Amino acid sequence: MDKITNAREAIAHHLKDGDLVFIGGYICRPPFSLIHEIIRQRKRDLTIVRSNAADDFDMLIGAGCVKRFIATFISLGLYGLARCFRRSIEKGIPHKIELEEYTNLSLPLMLMAGACGMPFVPVKDMIGTDLTKIKSFLGENKYKTIDSPFDGKPVTLVPALNPDLAIIHVQQADPEGNAQIWGIGGDCKWGANAAKKVIVSCERIVSREIVGKDPSRTIVPGFKVAAVVEEPFGAHPGYTPGFYDVDFSFGYLYQQASSTEEKFNEFLKEWVFDIGDRTEYINHYIHRFGYAQFKKLQAKFDYSYPVSYSY
Amino acid sequence: MTGHPNDYSKPELMACCGAREIEDYNIVIVGTGFPTMSANIARYTHAPNAKLMQESGVYDAQPLRPALSVGDPCLNPGAAMIGGLVDVMGMFLQGGWVDVGFLAGSQVDKYGNINTTAIGNYENPKSRLPGSGGANPIGSLAKKVLIISLHDTRHLAERVDFITTPGYIDGPGTREKLGLPPNTGPKVIITNKGVLRFSETTKTAYLDTYHPGSSVDEIVKLTPWKLDVSDDVHETEPPRAEELKALREILDPFRMINIYEKRGYV
Repeated sequence: MDKITNAREAIAHHLKDGDLVFIGGYICRPPFSLIHEIIRQRKRDLTIVRSNAADDFDMLIGAGCVKRFIATFISLGLYGLARCFRRSIEKGIPHKIELEEYTNLSLPLMLMAGACGMPFVPVKDMIGTDLTKIKSFLGENKYKTIDSPFDGKPVTLVPALNPDLAIIHVQQADPEGNAQIWGIGGDCKWGANAAKKVIVSCERIVSREIVGKDPSRTIVPGFKVAAVVEEPFGAHPGYTPGFYDVDFSFGYLYQQASSTEEKFNEFLKEWVFDIGDRTEYINHYIHRFGYAQFKKLQAKFDYSYPVSYSY
Repeated sequence: MTGHPNDYSKPELMACCGAREIEDYNIVIVGTGFPTMSANIARYTHAPNAKLMQESGVYDAQPLRPALSVGDPCLNPGAAMIGGLVDVMGMFLQGGWVDVGFLAGSQVDKYGNINTTAIGNYENPKSRLPGSGGANPIGSLAKKVLIISLHDTRHLAERVDFITTPGYIDGPGTREKLGLPPNTGPKVIITNKGVLRFSETTKTAYLDTYHPGSSVDEIVKLTPWKLDVSDDVHETEPPRAEELKALREILDPFRMINIYEKRGYV
């Protein structure tokens, strides 16, 4: 079945206010085009989840789309603390989000458990720290400590997570949604497979036959995918291996823009609300910074040795 | 090449102190900045068979520029294996294979507990920090944890405001009692003034060496807990020529390490 659509339709049809939504990426392949669409459509009361969040989550929080955040970490990396996140927590601007905090071990395993249909998963971290003392909207279900039924020793259990929707950006997908990545994975594969449905945005749509030439790269099978959107440059200012580099100068621009509420709203107007889709975004980028700067981000080619699956 | 050149910076000395804690064949989980530089100095000097991994999913990367995050594009081409968080944090770290973990903290206390969550009260923080990320599991499960910190009464504390990452928690026996794996925990705090290690009996950090230009008295005054001083306290060995050569010519040709001087590492 052909599931190809555009970002506006995909978000309008598959994301509801109040959903629990997994957003893939790890500086590598953040689905920024879909994130901008969520902000443009003024979705509200979302619970967002990913290990190691960055500028994409900060922007959603600043835009007022988020009620709750299942978090492990959020920063602007090289550019320091996440400004909109801090304003929300420290000053309640635009409102104070609720946080449930885990770690980069426990949260990926909670998504893995959700993907595998397990009710919970034992983890060896968090114990003895204040992370076990703070409980937010999950309450007593944040974690449980039991004596292991096997050896009687104490063991920490954390619940499985099954998001209503996952949105991810990948290098290529076929029209049915079989989605392929290469390079740093973060928790993308587990988050996508834990979700009830997935929106895949990709640098390029390829045929089912091309997917079949290297099926080991597929992280999400088509039957879990609700929509496929072709969005070249769709992860900018993050990067996509083999396509384009991180845009560090845009990272600095975002740090400056997000430093005050006023400048952040101007940023949203310029880069999200006054922009119709990703093509307009690219045109605006080239208009603002020049074609040379756009070209500079494009990846060089260094192909891997071809693989053969023949027998 | 031997000898100790005189023209080094404090961040370079700190990176070398970190490198010297790494042994050959160690499996090292690194973040950006100091950890990467230290681990790579070790690889280019005394520990050529040490292997690095990043929590994002990368094992044995071969970056051609300094990685600015653990998800940096330059970590992809040339790596020996790339998966994701479940692979590195789950299979390798929780699986018990990681020898050395490197952590930095906004606040570090005498037991090596680290706060990267919030300064002040958690519910209404004076300053909200990024959160645990990979720090808590690394501090819980790596066999040997190295901590980098600024040495002043703002960054060091008798007790951190919030324990994000466990050191020795409440002191001797606490990690074992709670069920953290045996023979894990912080081994050293490398500051811009000296190197602190942890007493086997009290699990409290004491002064082992002071950096050239610092003194025992100065460091004791800058430490918010009653700092014990090693019987054989001595000056930190300055960077060796081969360590600086690896750092400057191979690992950090653009001298990005200098940004740490602006952040107070002097």
